[in-house]
Amino acid sequence: MAVVNYSVQDILDFNTRFFVGFQWYEQTLQDPRFVEAFLRQIVFSVSVLLIEIPLGIVIARGMPRSGWLASFLLILLAIPLLIPWNVVGTIWQLFARSDIGLLGVTLNQLGFSYNYTANPIDAWFTVLAMDIWHWTSLVALLAFAGLSSVPQAYYQAAELDGASSWQVFRYIQLPRLRNVLIIAVLLRLIDSFMIYTEPFVLTGGGPGNTTTFLSQYLATMAVGQFDLGPAAAFSIIYFLFTLLFCWIFYTSVTANHD
Amino acid sequence: MTKIQIDKLQFRYPGTNDPALSSTSMEIKDGEAFAILGASGAGKTTLLNLLSGLLKPTSGSIYFNNEPVNTLSSRDRKLAQVFQFPILYEALSVIENLEFPLKARKFDSMFIKKRTENILGYLEITDLQHRRIADLSLFQKQLVSIGKSLVRPDISVVLLDEPLTAVEPSMKWKLRSTLRQIQKEQRLTMIYVTHDQTEALTFASRVAVMDQGHILQIDTPEIIYQQPDHKFVGTFIGSPGMNFVSARSLQSTIQSPEEAQEIGFRPEWAELSSEQVGDLSGTVKTTQLTGTTLGAPTGITWVSTNAGEVAIKGVLSHKPADYVSINLRQFLAFQDQKRITEITSV
Repeated sequence: MAVVNYSVQDILDFNTRFFVGFQWYEQTLQDPRFVEAFLRQIVFSVSVLLIEIPLGIVIARGMPRSGWLASFLLILLAIPLLIPWNVVGTIWQLFARSDIGLLGVTLNQLGFSYNYTANPIDAWFTVLAMDIWHWTSLVALLAFAGLSSVPQAYYQAAELDGASSWQVFRYIQLPRLRNVLIIAVLLRLIDSFMIYTEPFVLTGGGPGNTTTFLSQYLATMAVGQFDLGPAAAFSIIYFLFTLLFCWIFYTSVTANHD
Repeated sequence: MTKIQIDKLQFRYPGTNDPALSSTSMEIKDGEAFAILGASGAGKTTLLNLLSGLLKPTSGSIYFNNEPVNTLSSRDRKLAQVFQFPILYEALSVIENLEFPLKARKFDSMFIKKRTENILGYLEITDLQHRRIADLSLFQKQLVSIGKSLVRPDISVVLLDEPLTAVEPSMKWKLRSTLRQIQKEQRLTMIYVTHDQTEALTFASRVAVMDQGHILQIDTPEIIYQQPDHKFVGTFIGSPGMNFVSARSLQSTIQSPEEAQEIGFRPEWAELSSEQVGDLSGTVKTTQLTGTTLGAPTGITWVSTNAGEVAIKGVLSHKPADYVSINLRQFLAFQDQKRITEITSV
């Protein structure tokens, strides 16, 4: 409520404030930096979903169903999820450095001119790679749980039918995975849309503003510049967009089903 | 279709001592309706999985039409299976499910159309063909599963793994007679695995009775019932099963071989009387009414005798606690659980 209250006022100090109506909302929506960060955000979230969901499924399908190897792989997969987000950012900041980082040095030695602090494409690549490393495990674990619910007889029947590996996936596994995948997409959509810590630690939004996503722009506005009114309006718009995208996704998949 | 031979087939799950299937040899004739009957854990499903290729035998061989199939994978053995619960592609329609095995094996599209139409008509589910599987009742789904198992023209054998388990009781008889009719008309080799004696005895022309990994007897339902080779077969088949009493406990004139240890008789092979002397005697424990014959109440009378409890079928003329004697009309003699005589009439 405080945020809603702030978003319609111009606050000069604790005792001096004016009611400004929807002025901050209009200003935010017309702010080119907001629009750019918003588009960047969408590109980021869509890329992350397009890579992490299929990759997670492929990993889950490739895993053995039981035995020590399955347990070992499950623990291995869970490790990135257990690391604090700022540490993830720091790990990649070092890992990708072109002077001392394993990834950065290796890429440069292979002949790629790679420097994520100077080159926007490299910065994007690094941020995406970091997010994929961090979160594909979640999709894989969810998909693994979904695949474990397929009774063995279905595979047996498919084998007798002469079904191909793709058909087994398309007609047996995918329908069973549907519900966990909806959860996975929603979680990754919300999380990636709100991503803050890792790119902030890794690139600080740079070079320039090329990896500045919505949350970071908001933080700069609210905590850096102390523009409480516009920042409040911004965060409400931000929240509504997140809600809207989840709603669009959820209604489209559920409507499609019946 | 196909003749199936099993030669000294044996299977042991890794890490266990007792084989799930002890060395077994038998032959299932081309076009035969064959049933495998046993309690759960008897090794029925192990035998079925060995036939379908899901399990590889520890030793021994399987032949389809004299060709060894041990090394063939399930998909190359040309068989179809109906499972306990309908296993179908839930996201597809009925017709798409039926087409699936044919399309996967690259049959000609004209042939697929004709074949699926035939199957739909045969099972009387033509009006369901465009429905999605998820919208069908359990009974309809199992019908489609049966349809799917019949759709390929090149299969050797249809395996039925307790196909009526999931079907509601009122529909069981219908599905069972459909299966029986299909088997007769198409001359298909069918192997029907079940723990339900009624299903096995009414479906099959020959029944194999299994217990603890052993096949105890393979015979026609008639012989299985009348002349069980093994004590287990006698008690497992029939409701209630065969009565067994020790040979020495019989009081009178029954001529059983010297070496006979136990005498077995079906509940309907004996009669009760109020006389003092009989082959056995005891007091009535309980009675159970099952119907009437010419107006007289008939059912099962359980009698506690000095040789244990026995069940007698017939007219219910005695009340609990009455003293009765039992006279056998016919019986079988057993030694070491195995039958050693033909039916002997008194």
